[in-house]
Amino acid sequence: MFGLIDCNSFYCSCQKAFDPRLKHRPVVVLSNNDGCAIARTKEAKDLGIKMGDAWHLIRNMRKLEHVAWFSSNYPLYADMSRRVYEVLLDYVPRVEAYSIDEMFLDLSGFHEDLSVVCEQIRTAVDQITKIPTCVGWGPTKSIAKLANYIAKDRPELEGLCDLSASNVREKYYRNLPVSEVWGIGRRLAPRLHDAGIRTIQNFVDADEAFIRKIMSVTGVRLQAELRGENCLPLSEAPSQRKGMVCSRSFGSMVTDYTSMREAICTFTSRAAEKLRAEDLECGHLTVFIQTSPHRRQDEWYAPQVSLSFPPTNNTFSLVKHATRLLHAIWKDGFRYIKAGVGLNELAPSNRQHSLFVQEDEQKSRASDVMDVINRKFGQGTLNLLGAGIQKKWAPRQNMRSPRYTTDINEIMVATTF
Amino acid sequence: MTTSYAGDRTTGFASPASDVIEGPIDLSEVLSLSKPNRYPVRVSGTSFSSRCVMNGDVLIADTAGVPASGQLVIASASGQIILAELRNDHGRWLLISGNGSSQPLYVDPARDVEIWGTVTALVRTEV
Repeated sequence: MFGLIDCNSFYCSCQKAFDPRLKHRPVVVLSNNDGCAIARTKEAKDLGIKMGDAWHLIRNMRKLEHVAWFSSNYPLYADMSRRVYEVLLDYVPRVEAYSIDEMFLDLSGFHEDLSVVCEQIRTAVDQITKIPTCVGWGPTKSIAKLANYIAKDRPELEGLCDLSASNVREKYYRNLPVSEVWGIGRRLAPRLHDAGIRTIQNFVDADEAFIRKIMSVTGVRLQAELRGENCLPLSEAPSQRKGMVCSRSFGSMVTDYTSMREAICTFTSRAAEKLRAEDLECGHLTVFIQTSPHRRQDEWYAPQVSLSFPPTNNTFSLVKHATRLLHAIWKDGFRYIKAGVGLNELAPSNRQHSLFVQEDEQKSRASDVMDVINRKFGQGTLNLLGAGIQKKWAPRQNMRSPRYTTDINEIMVATTF
Repeated sequence: MTTSYAGDRTTGFASPASDVIEGPIDLSEVLSLSKPNRYPVRVSGTSFSSRCVMNGDVLIADTAGVPASGQLVIASASGQIILAELRNDHGRWLLISGNGSSQPLYVDPARDVEIWGTVTALVRTEV
């Protein structure tokens, strides 16, 4: 038996956990650079704020004057996610962190009523992390995912939905649209509709060969999962990364080479740090820069360029490659809004794979030392000078709340009563 | 040559302590700071100096703690996070001021007066 626990409006709930003034207010968290809404409490949804709404277009609307807006505070969200995960491990033997706010639970081996167990889990998460959740469960992960959706969608279920019985499942399958199934998105649903597949029941009953034709083996597996045949085991460790991208939209347009080089240098350093933290190396690097596609008055320029090289995870070598690539595509006279660095051809690190390339031992030790210092004193304590000090291009984050749980200078303050 | 102390590999006489090196004390572990239910909270104000809690102190709040009469708690009341003493009043929890400067408040989630966590430890970095 699998469960899926999902944190309600996770980023907003993290903000509310440390700020009781927000209890009855609509709360919205904005994307990097304060661009658009990425998390909304129910009160904010009721005001008509949609995912992806551009903040600068709606911020001054009269009906939204009581909304509490926040810049995203990922250090806080990551730490709260960790706390949720650890609370869950006190109750179930295995947990799969599926995303920052959704975790699969191994509910096999419980003799108690699972409604009681899941309610206990919800209460514990709520008390310990102050994050409200919904839990759904069933014999497969796909069913648990659907159960969770139902628990969230129907307030009368009070946050719990049990789809372990096939007759209960059938009732929902007949009434729910096929687009609510995990993995059937907006792209696939119309094609299924054309074939007369509208409800989940239609999908489960559909001809296997037909499903295979339009969704390949994934679709067939999904059919089996929805029938209660377990095809997707719980995976506790994430699969190895194939690539990583570090990119940002800028707080203000970048027009000079120096600022752009700083940005590229910063992204590359951060990506290299992540490589080393996961004991990986990369052999391929891409640099891209972009002007805004929304500003018709400006000319559009969005080049990208890549380079292969002997695998490394050394900040100094990677920054050298990235700067060379940037130099090759840079053109004066454009207003750049975004840039990024992508690392590919990742493999476990092994510092002696080539007889002919001698990596500078001093440089790789310097990278390691940077990691130690940055881990100890906070990200960005020690940087290459090329990454810039003032960072004029840094993303806007004007409404970021304190990092309540990860920085001793920003912890919650209690006034003595 | 290395720059870190290698007490188990002295260059002259073998160290008699080489088998029992224990490393420095980790206060984060002593305070269980990595547990999901432990949160550091900064004190602002002086009304609990009678219980030796000073302005600027760091308290460790435990959100899984079991409340008990006489205990210090972190609570939320009318939109504020406060430090108060908990008192049992005929089966109801009451929040008490440290120096009598505020009227006692009943814990009542319906009126937005709630216990956030219990205080389990105090850290003072400047004495």
